[in-house]
Amino acid sequence: MTNDRELDTWRDQWSSVAEPPAEFQRKVQERIKRQQRRFVLGNLLTVIAFLGLLIFAVYMRHQSSWMGTGWATGICVLAMVSTAYRVWIFRGMWRPQAQSTRAFVELWHKRVTARIRLLRISIYVSLGWIIFCAALTAANWATIGQDVKANPKAWVVVLVACALMQYPVIWYGAVWLRRRKLAELNEVKKIMDEMDGKSMS
Amino acid sequence: MNDASSVTDRFAGLVAIVSEHRQALEKQFARILSEYGAAISRLAFSYEAVASVREELVQEIALAIWQALAHFRGDCSERTFVYRIAHNRGLTHVGRRRPPHQPLEELEESKQPVDPRPHLDEQVARTDQQARLMSAIQSLPVTHRQMIVLALEGLSHAEIAEVMGITENNVAVRLTRIRKALKDVLGERT
Repeated sequence: MTNDRELDTWRDQWSSVAEPPAEFQRKVQERIKRQQRRFVLGNLLTVIAFLGLLIFAVYMRHQSSWMGTGWATGICVLAMVSTAYRVWIFRGMWRPQAQSTRAFVELWHKRVTARIRLLRISIYVSLGWIIFCAALTAANWATIGQDVKANPKAWVVVLVACALMQYPVIWYGAVWLRRRKLAELNEVKKIMDEMDGKSMS
Repeated sequence: MNDASSVTDRFAGLVAIVSEHRQALEKQFARILSEYGAAISRLAFSYEAVASVREELVQEIALAIWQALAHFRGDCSERTFVYRIAHNRGLTHVGRRRPPHQPLEELEESKQPVDPRPHLDEQVARTDQQARLMSAIQSLPVTHRQMIVLALEGLSHAEIAEVMGITENNVAVRLTRIRKALKDVLGERT
């Protein structure tokens, strides 16, 4: 203890402010077990989905039509990209929690900024993808047009499915997640200003 | 055949090492929780006024300690390690969800500890003082809160500097100003 009476009085009051919640250790242990189960299950599902997609791609390839080849290629690319993303996320399991507050907040700021940038890019990529598909369709209209005339209903279904797949990406990225991340960025900036003493009177 | 059994032995040895390491980590974790459980709860008090959310925050801090424990190489003291994680988790909590400040009257009585020793009047006065101190701390900006809480937990200036990533001189200067601000808030609320 110090000779500082004021600080000692505060410490005395502070030290009896709170006790750990009831059954604290047991609840934490349960949570750790739950998290580990989720982790194992998540990885298992990823492997199953990856294998399932590959089997489906091989099956589609053997349909021996240009559509089958297109589907198989698309599915393989999707499977590779999503697995690579999963591995990337897994590597990112490293959390900078044990760093000093300053380093932690600076890294947090960088991550939120990068996430916002990534969201903006994903929206542009998503729109670019639609334009690319439209251009590709226009360029090959001589072949595709015949198929469209032969199976108009199937093409309507494909278009609706594509639109439904694009919509959540754009909406989720553009509206909800971006707004959340911008709010988080504001809070991080506020904390950084406090740390730099800008808010200190 | 020999090769197969040697591979099996090696695998069994590896499993035993991993299992031992895990048991040692679990023991260390249990010790940290019993040693710092109360401090973590107090710290969570400064970041969250709502009891149910606070309990969740305390668990999240413990979980973050568990996740980081395997990477702890002793490059700082265990105390610094625990406080760094706890405060960083508290900051994330504040950054992602900044709740409205809870007024003094809403601080639940159930969370105020009952000290059997002093006389009832004394006890009531003490509880009131605690509530005022807590409310005053919660009204400070988040990083100031963090610094005063570390000081109240008995950390030296060097340790606070290590937790926060600033110089000792900076800690001394800021703490003086934060203490003055805290005293002003407490004065206003008397």
